Amino acid sequence: MTAHPATDRLLPSRPSRPSPAGQARGGSARSGSAGLSVRARPVVRAVFGVLLVLWILVPLVPLALWSVADRWQAPAVLPNAYSLDAFAVLGAPGTLSAAASSLLLGSAVAIIATPLGLMGALAARALPGRYGRAVDLILLLPLAVPPFALVMGANITLLRLYVPPFAGVVLLLVVIALPYTAFMFRSALATYEQRFEDVALTLGADPRQVLRHVRMPLLSAATVRAFFLAFLVGWGDYITTLLVGGGQLTTLPMLLGSAASSTGNEQLVAVLSLAVIVPPAFILAAVTLPAVITTRAAALTRKAHP
Amino acid sequence: MHHRAAPRAALSAGRARSVLLAIPAVVPVVLVIGVSIAGAAAQSLGLMPFIGAPVLSTQAWAGSAGDLGRSVLVSVYIAVVSTVLSLIVGFLIAVYVLAAPRMGRVVAALSAATIPVPHLIGAGAMGLLLSDSGFLDRVFGMPPGFPSLVGGPWFGAVIVEYAWKESAFVALVLIGSMARSVTGMCDAAATLGATAWQRIVHIVLPLSRPALAVSALIVVVYTFGSYEAAWLLGPTSPEPVSVRAVRLFGSVDLAARPEAMATALVSLAAGVVAILAGLVVLRGSRGLR
Repeated sequence: MTAHPATDRLLPSRPSRPSPAGQARGGSARSGSAGLSVRARPVVRAVFGVLLVLWILVPLVPLALWSVADRWQAPAVLPNAYSLDAFAVLGAPGTLSAAASSLLLGSAVAIIATPLGLMGALAARALPGRYGRAVDLILLLPLAVPPFALVMGANITLLRLYVPPFAGVVLLLVVIALPYTAFMFRSALATYEQRFEDVALTLGADPRQVLRHVRMPLLSAATVRAFFLAFLVGWGDYITTLLVGGGQLTTLPMLLGSAASSTGNEQLVAVLSLAVIVPPAFILAAVTLPAVITTRAAALTRKAHP
Repeated sequence: MHHRAAPRAALSAGRARSVLLAIPAVVPVVLVIGVSIAGAAAQSLGLMPFIGAPVLSTQAWAGSAGDLGRSVLVSVYIAVVSTVLSLIVGFLIAVYVLAAPRMGRVVAALSAATIPVPHLIGAGAMGLLLSDSGFLDRVFGMPPGFPSLVGGPWFGAVIVEYAWKESAFVALVLIGSMARSVTGMCDAAATLGATAWQRIVHIVLPLSRPALAVSALIVVVYTFGSYEAAWLLGPTSPEPVSVRAVRLFGSVDLAARPEAMATALVSLAAGVVAILAGLVVLRGSRGLR
C-alpha cells in the first residue's frame, strides 16, 4: 500500500503551496508532490480501506456461511443448500448447561478481578515511588507467564488442597485477568481529577458520600471496561478449564475445542463459535453505543447552539 | 524527609491504608505464581510425583534437552513472525483510522469488535478459511504446489491467526495513545508541505514508537506461550512449547509429567526474560531522549 507514497518521495518534489488548515485536516488527502495526481489519492485511500475491512472480516465469512449451510461440498464456493438446522444444537441440554457454566465462570472472574484491580491500582497510585512501581509490576507479572505454564505448575497443589475444579479455575483466571483490570483502572486514575473529591470534602461530604457521589461515577466507565475484559477472560477460556477442570467443567469453549479438533464438524464449529462471540459483541455494543450517541448528540447540540 | 511529626503520622497512616489496599490484589498473584513455579520445579525434578515416592532426578531436563530446545526455537519463530506482522498491520490500521475521518471510524469499530473474539474461535475460523478445501481455496483455487497453511511445516495458518487477532490489539493501543497528539502535528506538517509518506515516517512513526514497543512486548510473550491456534492449526511435529507441554501433561505415561513441567518452566522463564529485557530496552531508549 505504501508503494505510491514511496515513489512519491523518490521523485524530485516541488515545494507545494500552503493550503488552508481545513483542507489539510484528516491526513493523506492532499498531494504535495508530482508523483501522484491529486485525483489518485482518494482512490488509493479507498482501496487501502477496503483491504483493511477485508482483512478484518474475511476470516469470519466462512464461519457465518457454515452456520447456515445445509450441504457445502468441496469445490463449491458457496453452500449447495441452506438451512438453520445446525442452530438446533444451541437448544440441546448439554449446550445450555455449558453456556451456563461459561456465564458463571465469566461472571465469577469479573466480580472478583474488577474490585481487586481497582484496589491494586489505587494502592499503586497512592504508594510512593518504588513501592508503587513494585505493585504495578506485580500486577502486570501474569502477562509474562504463559497461561498453560501457570496452570500446570499450580495444578498439583490445587489437587492436594482439594480445591474444587470450578474454584481452582476461577482463582487462576482471576490472576490472569488482574493485569487487564488493574491496567484499566490505572489509566483511568492517571487522568482522574483528585480535586473533585477535595471539593466534595470541603463542601461537607463524608468519605462515604465522596465514594458514592464522586469517585464511583467518575470511575464507572473504567469499571465497565475492566468488568467486560475480566468477563471475557472467563467466558472464552479454554486452556485453564481444560487443564484444571480435567473434563469435569464443561464450558462452551470446551465443546468448541472438541468439535474443532476433529474433521467434519464445520457446522457445529461455526454455530458454537457464534454462540461464544455474539453475546459479548452485543454487550460491547450496548456499552459503547450509548456513549457514542451521547457524544454525537452533544456535538450536534454544540453545532446548533454555538 | 518530613520535619514535623503530625504530617508524618498522617502520611504513614495513609501509606498503611494503601498497603492494606494492595494486599488483596498482590497476594493472589504472588501466591499463585510462586506456588506454580515451585510446583513445576519440584515436579520437573521428580520431587512431587503424582503417585509414588519422590526421587530426585534430572532425567526430565537432561533426557529431552534436544526436543525441548527445538520446541523453544519453534515457539520463538512463531512469536517473532506473528509479532512483526501484527505490528505492521496494526500500524497500517491505526494510520488509516487517524487519517480517514469517516471510513476510519468504520475500520476502527470493526477492528475493535474482533478483540473480544477468543483465540480458540479465531483458530476455528482460520481452519475453515485456510485449510486445503477451505473457503479461500474454493474461491481462488490454490496452485497445487502451494504448501498447506493448516498443519503445514511453516505454521502459516497459526501465524495468520495471531496476526489477525493481535493486529487489532496493536491498532487499539496505537490509536489510544496517538489520537490526541498526532492530528495537530500532521495538520501542521501538511500545511508546511509534507507529503503523506513524510508525515507517516517523520511524525506518526516516531510518536507511535513507545506504544509499538509496549504492544510488541505483550504480543511476543503472548504468542510465544499461546496454545489454542498452535494446537488446532499447527503440524503434529515440530511442536511449539505449549503444545508439547499440554501433550506431555495429558499423557497416560506419568513419567511424562516431569518433562511437561520442565517445558512449562522454560516457557515461563522465557516470558519473564523477554519482559525484563523489553523493560530494560524501553527504559534505556527513554533515557536517550
